[in-house]
Amino acid sequence: MVEGLVRACTGLNCGGVHVGFWNSVRILIPSVTLSVLAGALNGYALSHWRVPGADLILLALLLGAFIPYQVILYPLVKITSTIGIYSSLPGIITVHILFGLPVMTLLFRNFYAGLPVELVKAARVDGAGFWRIFVSVMLPLSVNILIVATILQTTGIWNDYLLGLIFAGRENQPMTVQLNAIATTSTGEIEYNVNMAAALLTALPPLLVYFASGRFFVRGITAGAVKG
Amino acid sequence: MSGVVVCGLSKSYGPVRALRGIDLVVEPGDFTVLLGPSGCGKSTLLNAIAGLDDIDAGTVAIGGVEVTQREPSERGIAMVFQSYALYPTMTVRRNLSFGLRVRSVPKAEIKRRVAWVSELLQIGGMLDRKPSQLSGGQRQRVAIGRALVQQAKVFLLDEPLSNLDAKLRTEMRVELKRLHHSLAATIIYVTHDQIEAMTLATRIAVMRAGRIEQYATPDVLYERPETLFVAGFVGSPGMNFLPGSIGRASVPVARIETDAIPLDGYPLCSSLNDGREIIFGIRPEHVSLANQETRGPVIEAQTLFIEPMGADTLAWFQHGSQRISARLPPQRAREISGKVRLALDISQVSLFDPATEQRL
Repeated sequence: MVEGLVRACTGLNCGGVHVGFWNSVRILIPSVTLSVLAGALNGYALSHWRVPGADLILLALLLGAFIPYQVILYPLVKITSTIGIYSSLPGIITVHILFGLPVMTLLFRNFYAGLPVELVKAARVDGAGFWRIFVSVMLPLSVNILIVATILQTTGIWNDYLLGLIFAGRENQPMTVQLNAIATTSTGEIEYNVNMAAALLTALPPLLVYFASGRFFVRGITAGAVKG
Repeated sequence: MSGVVVCGLSKSYGPVRALRGIDLVVEPGDFTVLLGPSGCGKSTLLNAIAGLDDIDAGTVAIGGVEVTQREPSERGIAMVFQSYALYPTMTVRRNLSFGLRVRSVPKAEIKRRVAWVSELLQIGGMLDRKPSQLSGGQRQRVAIGRALVQQAKVFLLDEPLSNLDAKLRTEMRVELKRLHHSLAATIIYVTHDQIEAMTLATRIAVMRAGRIEQYATPDVLYERPETLFVAGFVGSPGMNFLPGSIGRASVPVARIETDAIPLDGYPLCSSLNDGREIIFGIRPEHVSLANQETRGPVIEAQTLFIEPMGADTLAWFQHGSQRISARLPPQRAREISGKVRLALDISQVSLFDPATEQRL
């Protein structure tokens, strides 16, 4: 396994998959954090505050959750290169957040819609505003759903290949992309044991996440699904 | 202390007109109950006074200041909700102090007020527990405490007792009455339970379909209901209604089926023509069994069944096509069967116009 980490070859470059591993981590953390928090905020606003055109926004989100990546890859490449973040770390993070938002928002909206309206009313009478209610009342209630959202996003973003390949740029290629390069390289002798180790290492983080938090995952998924 | 003045308040939910031009004056120190069946708009009115719902038209003034456009927190109100709406993740202490912390009240003052409230409501022992570890009655107390700690000018209570069991409800009712007396606060209280309304209120506003039907003290409401709806809604069972018409002998009489009941002494609002259709209303407790000394009008009716209720017994009779209920002493009610003669206490009668449903 260690050999895979430090010795696996991509073409002539035998630096191991640890470069890709750290790239993946650098993409993962901001993408997950920002998309989960933004989803929570959107869900809270859409379920407990009167947002003009809320129904239309929800419809758009629902459609957004079903859009295949391939359909908007080209437009997205044009957009990101126009604003100058194509092929960079901020670029790939932005793209991940964009693709994560619809599902995250719907997940949190359904969860918050299941909470009693009177809770928000009571907090408003107590003098709390939009942000104070979100931070002091809503977020502490959302621990389960936050964990679920984090798991969904973590596994999704870690396992992503297509977006990483296109938007991350050479310097920031995530682990999955590098693994592919290792597997398809045809230079020199193919060390199957080292390649297998690299593959296992790539698959390990999502597996660990599932093992560590399966309990929350089931609980949260049903909580989000039954209510609202 | 301050009162609440509501003027021409209207509110629609799409095509449904929840409030239709409500005018309501709550004097400082009043305990006003908004009473009505489900969907009559009473909770909507309370939310409008609190500023939690936008309104279509009208104004709300609290303590002489117009607050129609203000946020709930800027109106000097505190509110207790039907579901209590305690913050589940906070301890009782933090629940009580949340509003004060939001308003950046000094720590010492928060401590003082929380101590005062927990003393007043006897919740001192549970300050460090979460709401989920409390019983219904305790949660209720905390919810009331969270309102009291604000030291607001006006308290709004939205069916606060409806989730409690019957015994606890009676206890909390007494508790609320005691609080109202000791705090001398202005309270607006929403309920569909007329017993709560009658026992707690200094004034009751009976609502139906977004309008206030009558706004009066409990006594007046009970003894001189202004409309047929109020007469039927307040009282358990409601007032007996017997359709009839006005006839004239030496004094005006109400003709009901074959009986003629003299109406001398009834404080008519206007003079009535002969033959005019009326609804003759009399409460169950003003119907009694006739005996030799009975002087007032007497009608004959067939016994249907009796409902023993402990302190008194409800007896149901068939009179022509109408049912009449009577509240009788249990000893006398046990003996009755078959045809009986019922005496009506004519001084306690209400007459209504069947078309307008207004008191005559």
